[in-house]
Amino acid sequence: MSGTSASGAAVASAPVRNPLFPVGVDLYPLDAERASFSDWYDRDLVDDFAAMADAHFSLVRVFVSWKLFEPQVGQYDDEAMDRLGSVLEGARTHDLRAIVTFFADDRLAEMNEVPWAKKRDPRTDDYLIQREISLVQRVVNHFRTDAAVWAWELGNEAFFTGFETEERLQAWARTLKDAIREVDTARQVVLGVGAETLVRETGVDAREAIDGFEHALSRVTAPYLSYMAEGPLTYGPATYLDSFLLRSNSRTLPVLADGVGVHSLDGSVAEEAAYVRTALFSTVMNRGAGVMLRRWRDLEAEKREPYFRDPYETLVGVTGPDGEPKPALEEVRRFIRTVARLDLQRYALAPERSAVVVPVERYELLPSLAGLYDPRSCLQSYIAAKEAHLPVTLLSEGDDPDGFMTLFVPSAGKLSPDMWKSLASFVQSGGSVVLSYGGGDADPALREIFGVDFLGDHGVRQVVSCRIAQPGLLGDLSAFDARLDLPHYALVGGGSATVVATDATGSPLLTVNQYGQGRAVFLAAPLERAIAQSDPWAAPEPVKGLLRTVYGSVARAAGSGPVVDCDDPVVEIAQFQGDGDDVVCVLSHDMASRTATLTTERVVASVTDIRGGKAADVQARSFGVPLGPNGAAVLRLTYG
Amino acid sequence: MAGRPGAAEQAETLARQGQVGAAVAACYEALAIDHGQPRIHALLAHLMLEGDFYDEAIAEATAAIEADPDCSPAYLALGLAYDRRGGMWDQSLLVWHELAEVAPDLVTAHVQLGEAFSAAAFEEEAVESWRRALELDPKESRATYNLAIDSLKREGMALALPLFRQAGELDPSQDELFFALLGLKDAPVVQVDPARVKPNRDARVGAAGLALKADDFFAAADLVRLVLDEQPDDAEALALAAYAYLKQEAANEAMACAVRALSLQPDLVTALYCLGVVYARRTGLSRHAARVFIALAKQAPSHALVHVLLAESLLGLQRYEQAGKAYRLAVRLDPACVRARFGLAAAYLTEGRYAEASWEIRRAAYYDTKRQGLFWRLYDGYVGGGDGQ
Repeated sequence: MSGTSASGAAVASAPVRNPLFPVGVDLYPLDAERASFSDWYDRDLVDDFAAMADAHFSLVRVFVSWKLFEPQVGQYDDEAMDRLGSVLEGARTHDLRAIVTFFADDRLAEMNEVPWAKKRDPRTDDYLIQREISLVQRVVNHFRTDAAVWAWELGNEAFFTGFETEERLQAWARTLKDAIREVDTARQVVLGVGAETLVRETGVDAREAIDGFEHALSRVTAPYLSYMAEGPLTYGPATYLDSFLLRSNSRTLPVLADGVGVHSLDGSVAEEAAYVRTALFSTVMNRGAGVMLRRWRDLEAEKREPYFRDPYETLVGVTGPDGEPKPALEEVRRFIRTVARLDLQRYALAPERSAVVVPVERYELLPSLAGLYDPRSCLQSYIAAKEAHLPVTLLSEGDDPDGFMTLFVPSAGKLSPDMWKSLASFVQSGGSVVLSYGGGDADPALREIFGVDFLGDHGVRQVVSCRIAQPGLLGDLSAFDARLDLPHYALVGGGSATVVATDATGSPLLTVNQYGQGRAVFLAAPLERAIAQSDPWAAPEPVKGLLRTVYGSVARAAGSGPVVDCDDPVVEIAQFQGDGDDVVCVLSHDMASRTATLTTERVVASVTDIRGGKAADVQARSFGVPLGPNGAAVLRLTYG
Repeated sequence: MAGRPGAAEQAETLARQGQVGAAVAACYEALAIDHGQPRIHALLAHLMLEGDFYDEAIAEATAAIEADPDCSPAYLALGLAYDRRGGMWDQSLLVWHELAEVAPDLVTAHVQLGEAFSAAAFEEEAVESWRRALELDPKESRATYNLAIDSLKREGMALALPLFRQAGELDPSQDELFFALLGLKDAPVVQVDPARVKPNRDARVGAAGLALKADDFFAAADLVRLVLDEQPDDAEALALAAYAYLKQEAANEAMACAVRALSLQPDLVTALYCLGVVYARRTGLSRHAARVFIALAKQAPSHALVHVLLAESLLGLQRYEQAGKAYRLAVRLDPACVRARFGLAAAYLTEGRYAEASWEIRRAAYYDTKRQGLFWRLYDGYVGGGDGQ
C-alpha cells in the first residue's frame, strides 16, 4: 500500500482510500417525490459526484430502469442507455466505480413496472425472465469494457422480497447470473440481498443462492430494525445490529455492509451522525469487506396536507435534498480517511475463537415461535460476548465448530440430535459450551454433557434471583434479585455438575461440568431471550453482568478470551495483528463520553493515532483511551 | 362455518394464562378449521404484540378487520402495533380514528390518536385528542403527561412543570410507594376496627397503616392518637399522621408531623416521603424537596418511584442532567414505570435528544396499555356481543 512507511507510520502522501475496504453510497435515480419515472437520472450529477470524490468514496450504486430501457417489448430506448453511460462516465471521471443494479424497487421510480408485463410476476414468469435476460445482457454487453463498473447486481431487497420459495429464487438467480457471465466474465456479480433479512421478511432462505455469487450483502432494513432493535440508535442493541447482521450473513464470501444509515427523520442530525459512525466502525471491526451508505440525498417529499411527512421521506441520505452535506457525511469522510491508513494486507483481525450458535429452529415458520425468538436471543448473546470483549462471531447449527474454543447456545428451544453429538464431541475434545435453557423437554444429552438431571420446567417467573454457591468458579459473580420476566426456568438436580449459583430457593441457576477435556456450563433460565423480550434498553444490569461475566470467564478459561481487555462493557475492541505492532479499534456503544482503560498481554511501548500525530509513550500494559459520545479511535500499538 | 368451539376457547384460555407458544399453536389449529374467524386473528395479533412481533401482529389484525370491520380488539392491536413499530404513524392515525368510532368511550384510543398526531407533527390535533381523552376520564394520567410534554416543547419547562406535577398526582403508584416503605406492600386492603386492635403500640401502629391503606382515615387517626397519647415522641406514628394529613390536603399539618418525626428519627423513610411530597407540592420549595428525596433515595434506593420523585424535584430546579440520571435509574429499576418514562422524555427534550424522547414516550404507551389490559376488555365485549365469529 502506498503512503505508509515500512514501520506503518504515515508519510507525506497519506492514502485517502483503502483499496481493500471500499466505501460507497447509493445514488437513486429520483431525489424528489414529485419527479416522474422518466426523470430517471435526468439531472446534472456533476456536483454529487464531485462531493463524493471529495469525501473519497470508492463506490457508487446506480439503478437500471427496465421500464425506461424497454418501453415496448423488445424495443430498447437508446437514450436510456446513453443516460446510463453518462452516469458511469461521471463516476469514472471522479474516480468512482459503480455497482449497477438491475431489478430494484425504490417505491418511486417504477423501475420494474414495465407496462407490457400485464401484472405478471417478473420473478417467476418464464417470458418475463427471458426479457430480463435480454435486458441484462444488452446492458452488460454495452458496458462490459467500461472500467467504471465494479460489479453487476441482480436486484435489491425490495425486489427479492417478492420471491416465495428458495427454489424459485435460486433458479432466477442462477439464470440471470449465467446470462451476465455469457457476456462478461471479468466483473463481479452480486445477488443484492442479505440472507438474514430476507428470511425474516419472507421465510425464504437465500443462503445457498447467495453462495453462488462473489460478494454477500448485509443490510439492516427498516422492518428488521423494528423487529430486532426498535429503540434508540445511539446506545443499546441497535448499535450492535449492523455487525450482528454482518456476522449473520458471513459464510464463505466477503460481506459488504449495505444500506448503512438511518431509516427515519426521528433523530437529530447529530444522532444520525453518531449512528452512522457506529455502523461504519462496527463494519471494519467485524470483518466487513466494505460499506455502502443508504442514500446520497434525502428524498424531497411532496408537501401535501395532512400527510406531508409520508413514508417516502424516510429515505434519508447523507446530504440534504439540496445537496447540503449533513454531519453524517463528515463522519463518513473521517472514517474513510481513518480506514485508509489501516493496511489490511499488513494487519489481520485477531481470529474469533468464540461463537454464538444460531439454532436451525430459527428457520421455522409460525406457529413455531422459535423463528421469532431465536434471532433476538442470539443478538443478546452476541452483545454479552462483545461486552465481555471477546472476539466473537456467529455459527449456524450444523456448521463445523472446528477452530472455535467456546460456543454459546442462547435460549434454544431445541437442537438437532446431530448438534448434541457435535457439542459432546466439541466439549470432549477441550472446547467450552455455555447453554441456556430455552423451554420444553431437555435432550438426554444434557445429562451427559452438562452433568445435570432435568426435572421439569418451573414456568414463568418475574424475578431473577442469584445466590452464589461457588465464588470465583465462573468469574466474579455476586448475589442479586432483579425484576425480569423469565418465560421458563429449568429445575435440575443430581448429576456430576458443580452448582455455581442458585436461585433464592436453592434451585441451581448456573452449573459447570467437566466433560472430557472441556467444560459445559448450563444456565437454568433463558436469560438472553428474557433480556430480548423485555426491554433490552433497560435490562437489569445485574442480569447483563451475570451473562457477560460467565461468557468472559468461560472463554478465558478455554483460551479464547479477549486479546485486548477493557474495563468498560460498552466499549467494543477489535485488534488487527501485525508483525511486531498491532492496530486496535476502539468503539463506544454509548452516548456518554468516557475513558476506556485497555489492557494488553504485553507491555505497550507507545500508542499512536493511526491518522498520524505524535506517539504517546506508555511503557505499561494498561492505558486509557478517551472517547466522545459514540466515539471511535484507531490506535497503533508498539511493544517494548 | 363456525370453528370447533374447543380450539378457539382453548386458545383464549392459554392466551389469558400467558402461555404464548401453546396459545399460538391453538390459534393456528382453530384457523385450520375455519380461516375466517376474526376473533382468532385478533387473538393472534394480541399474542404477537405481546412478543413485540409487530409485523406479524399487523398482518393478523388486518386479517381480523378484513373479516369483520367492527372487530374492535383488532383495531386496538393494529394501532398499537403501528405505534410500537415506529415509522408508521400515518396508518396509525387512521386506525385510532376508526377505533374511536367503533368504541367512542375508549379513552386510550384518544390518547393514542393524540400520540400519533404528535409523531406526525400535528400538534394542535394532538392536543385536541388528549383533551378529549381527559373529558372522558379526568384522571387519565398519560393524556396529562402528553399535554405536559407538549407544553414543554412549546413553552418550556417552567410552564410544563405544573402539568407534570398534576400528572404525577394522578399516579396511584405513589401511594403504593408509601405502603411499600411502610412494609405493607403486599398487605391486603382490609377494614380495621380500632376496638378490636390489641392495646399495645406495635399492634396499633400496624393497624393504623392498614387502615390508611384502606383509606379509612378516621380509624387510622384513632389508632395513631392512642399511640401518641402514650408516647408523643413516636416517630413512626407521627409519620403515619403526616401521611393521613397529606391525603386530606392538610399540607401544614403533614409537614409539621413529618418534621417532628424526622427530628426524632432522621432516617425514617415514611416521614422523608411525606415531607418530600409536601415540599414538592409547594411552588418554590423544589430545593427542599430535592434534599429530602436525596435522603430518601439513600435510604430506599431500590424503589423506582423514589428516584422519580427526586428527578421531578430536580426538574423544578432546572437541573435537567441530574434529573435525567435519576429518571434513568428509575427506568432501570422498573422499566414499566410510565411516570419515569415521561419524565425521562422531558429530560431528553431539554437536551435536544428528540429520538430518545420519542422512544421513551412510546415505551410509556407500551407499558401503560399493557397494564390496563385493554385488549381483553374489548375482546370480551366483542365476543360477548355475539359478533365474534
